[in-house]
Amino acid sequence: MTHAPYPKAASADIAMLLEGTFPFVSGGVSSWVNQIIRAFPDYTFALIFIGSRPEDYGQPKYELPPNVVHLETHYIHTQIDIPLIRRQRGDPATFGDVEAMHEYFRAPHASPDGANAFERLSRELLPGGKLDRDTFLFSEASWDFIKTKYREHSIDPSFVDFFWTIRAMHQPIWTMAQIAESLPEVRAFHTISTGYAGFLGALLKRRRGRPLILSEHGIYTKERKIDLFQSEWITDNRNVFQKDPTEISYFRQLWMRLFESFGKLCYDAADDIIALYEANRQRQIQDGAEPARTRNIPNGINLKALSPLRQQRPAETPPILCLIGRVVPIKDIKTFIRAMRTVVNRIPQAEGWIAGPEDESPEYAEECKNLVISLGLEKNVKFLGFQKIPDLLPKIGLMVLSSISEALPLVILEGYAAGVPTISTDVGSCRQLVYGFDDADRAIGASGRIVGIADPLALANAAIELLLDPAAWQAASQAAIERVERYYTQDMMFGQYRSVYERALSLPVPSLPGAAGQCPRRG
Amino acid sequence: MAGIGFEIRKLLKKESYFGLIQAYTYAGIIGAGPWILSILGVQAIGFLSLAIVVPTFLITQFQVSVTHMIAASLILTGILQLAFTRYISDRLFEKRDDTVLPNFIGALFAVMVAAGAIGLAAAVFLFDGLGVVYRLLMLSGFIILSMIWIATIFLSGMKQYKQILWLFLVGYSISVLAAVVLRQFGLEGLLLGFVLGQFVLLTGMMVFTLRTYPSNRFIEFDFIKPGRMYLSLMGVGFLYNFGVWIDKYMFWYTAGAGQQIIGPLNASLIYDLPIFLAYLSIIPGMAVFLVRMETDFVEYYDKFYDAVREGGSLEQIEQLRDEMVHTIRQGIFEIVKIQTIAVLVTFVAAPALLRLLGASQLYQSLLYIDVVSASTQVVLLGLLNVFFYLDKRRIVLLLTGIFVLLNIGLTALSLHWGPAYYGYGFALAVLITVLTGMAFLDRKLQTLEYETFMLQRG
Repeated sequence: MTHAPYPKAASADIAMLLEGTFPFVSGGVSSWVNQIIRAFPDYTFALIFIGSRPEDYGQPKYELPPNVVHLETHYIHTQIDIPLIRRQRGDPATFGDVEAMHEYFRAPHASPDGANAFERLSRELLPGGKLDRDTFLFSEASWDFIKTKYREHSIDPSFVDFFWTIRAMHQPIWTMAQIAESLPEVRAFHTISTGYAGFLGALLKRRRGRPLILSEHGIYTKERKIDLFQSEWITDNRNVFQKDPTEISYFRQLWMRLFESFGKLCYDAADDIIALYEANRQRQIQDGAEPARTRNIPNGINLKALSPLRQQRPAETPPILCLIGRVVPIKDIKTFIRAMRTVVNRIPQAEGWIAGPEDESPEYAEECKNLVISLGLEKNVKFLGFQKIPDLLPKIGLMVLSSISEALPLVILEGYAAGVPTISTDVGSCRQLVYGFDDADRAIGASGRIVGIADPLALANAAIELLLDPAAWQAASQAAIERVERYYTQDMMFGQYRSVYERALSLPVPSLPGAAGQCPRRG
Repeated sequence: MAGIGFEIRKLLKKESYFGLIQAYTYAGIIGAGPWILSILGVQAIGFLSLAIVVPTFLITQFQVSVTHMIAASLILTGILQLAFTRYISDRLFEKRDDTVLPNFIGALFAVMVAAGAIGLAAAVFLFDGLGVVYRLLMLSGFIILSMIWIATIFLSGMKQYKQILWLFLVGYSISVLAAVVLRQFGLEGLLLGFVLGQFVLLTGMMVFTLRTYPSNRFIEFDFIKPGRMYLSLMGVGFLYNFGVWIDKYMFWYTAGAGQQIIGPLNASLIYDLPIFLAYLSIIPGMAVFLVRMETDFVEYYDKFYDAVREGGSLEQIEQLRDEMVHTIRQGIFEIVKIQTIAVLVTFVAAPALLRLLGASQLYQSLLYIDVVSASTQVVLLGLLNVFFYLDKRRIVLLLTGIFVLLNIGLTALSLHWGPAYYGYGFALAVLITVLTGMAFLDRKLQTLEYETFMLQRG
């Protein structure tokens, strides 16, 4: 490690809980975090980074803003040094609470005591508590609980796999409890996802009573689902008679339910639940968020910085399709490459640029490059690595997103500011960004095209249509500029977040940890 | 004795009464053979020399000298008995067969040096005033016996049970023959004969080993390195052998119960003969122990751990645990049953047997209780074996420790209370240890899955 030591402070205004994003991973969410922190120079921020393993991240990808006074890193999947194995009984009453909490996850309305059970348990997670890591790992009560759950629910016969899945799944809970304990004094917590960071937020809210703000960009559980489908380390031991082909492996289901439960706990604890766009807010409510605490704050871009780029555009629209994003499976780069084959067949001088870091999934990047070769597109498709977006925008004709999952991609808005239309798959808020959200927005017109997921031909045809018809391209470009200026500027976003932050920070500091901020919650 | 199960299973596969009888006979002879042969050999030498030139007193001196050699060498090599066996099986498991032979030679050498040093010190200081020839024979006999036990351990570890048995048979036959031939030279003649036979036995074991397990290195001392052998097993091996002999030593050296025979060597005329005879009665128990524990129990033990590892359902795992418990229970009950029969046979046959040996009928009641003790000891062996399979070395260490303390305490009490109580100290010590072991085993088996899953490093 050769980086400068991270800043440390005993207190800050806002603690940001960051799972696998800023400042070590570049991408839309990280850029958004960077934007937010820099927008509030009057507040100090403590950053809590949660990653998988130290070796999965290199140097910070962003320069830390000056108002970041504290940065600490934690890793979930590092080997924890298990202390001495200690045989112990475990406390049955505590496991009664564990049971109540699991029932609550299964059916929130049927067992309203679950939230209170979590409240009680959250105080017992530290070493010496009634539900510390040793209790989970070694106690007879824990063993009995695992056996009971296996008998009640497991549809996979292998007990040993069930056992180790349960162990692996729950371990991070105690890691989070340790983090929560050693965190600097802050006046508000802001988590940028549910998942582990969201669970940490819920723990912090319960332990310290300070407000918790949740900003969801993607849909954590959905992204996890994709990860879990691709992970090969989860086994499935059902034989041909036990298998229902429509069911995913039981152990995948377990992981999914863990993240759903983390999400539920985070929604229960959060004072503000912020979505980027309406469809996402509806999904939060469906997943158990209380509607009264939800709201939309869409992303906004720095219009002043980007609008001058329009003057740099050449008169002739260059036949260049650009995909800006990390080279990872979720971005489905391969569909873009396949689409390029069709585009080049029609427009031989067309180029496809892929601008984004390739270090997150080197094997996927390798597969993409091999695909380029096998389709004979070496002259047309270029991997540019990480690029500064303002340098790219004047040179390209279309912004392309072929992702299988997105939230509200900033690159679309940045492209709009520079007058570049977008062709995107129908994910996240992309349809809303291209065709408009309400009637007034729709009246502006289409600022690009939306195509189906994993449909290279549709993607190619939409691109060919806009590139070969200057009038259509011009109309889309105009709509893009108008839409971004009216609805998606940075100033709008900052204004809304300022009110969120001000309300959270103005709450009195509670005298007792866990005693404040408790309006009665009904599940 | 792990590994003998495979041999026995082959015989059981015949699925006939004859096959069953063969299996049990084989197991009995293998299990108790060397031990029985050494008792019989020593008794036979005395018996055959009786009423010939040799006065009875000399025969007693000879038998006591050999008994002391056997006892001391067993206690000394007990330290290596289990630890070295485990060392060998660990190396074989690692597929490092080439390290086995040089370390066996190393262990032999180490034992030779240790026994030589102890024997020499004893010969010089304890046996001061006795004849030089006698002292030299005692020294060499002690060293040779110690090395034989190590070679026996090694060959058992290599599953060469039949060879061990044949070699013992040949060795003891030569011991008996040579002693009878040399008996006109009195005590030294008898001893020389015995030592010669033992020397042949050791040489035979060495030759067989070197021919069967070639290695490019002659000698290594890897087993001595810290952490290569389990200290707990060294403790268990020592304590078990010490516990089995300590009551005899107490009788030998308690005034009134024991008397001086030759130099520093004492014997107890009242205590010794019955206990040695009693050990002849454990052959059927040993047979059942080997057949039951090494075949049935091990089968379920393997199935249980396979189910755990290979992804069996919890129901299967628990069911196999129950079947494993069932085979342990059955095995122990069968040992008890067969030894009960052995005890009853002894009760009936004791007077005739004592008459045959020309021994006093006064030995009867002591012989009865000793047969019960020896039988209980087989049950104890069975229990310890289960604990070894479950890798609960610390429990075995605790049990053998308890056994030693009980045997010392209760034997002292029986000596204090007088002849009517002789033999009950040892019997109770074994019995209480067995009951304690059963209580431990019961608890261990109840929490077996919990310990298997929860109390291990993942």
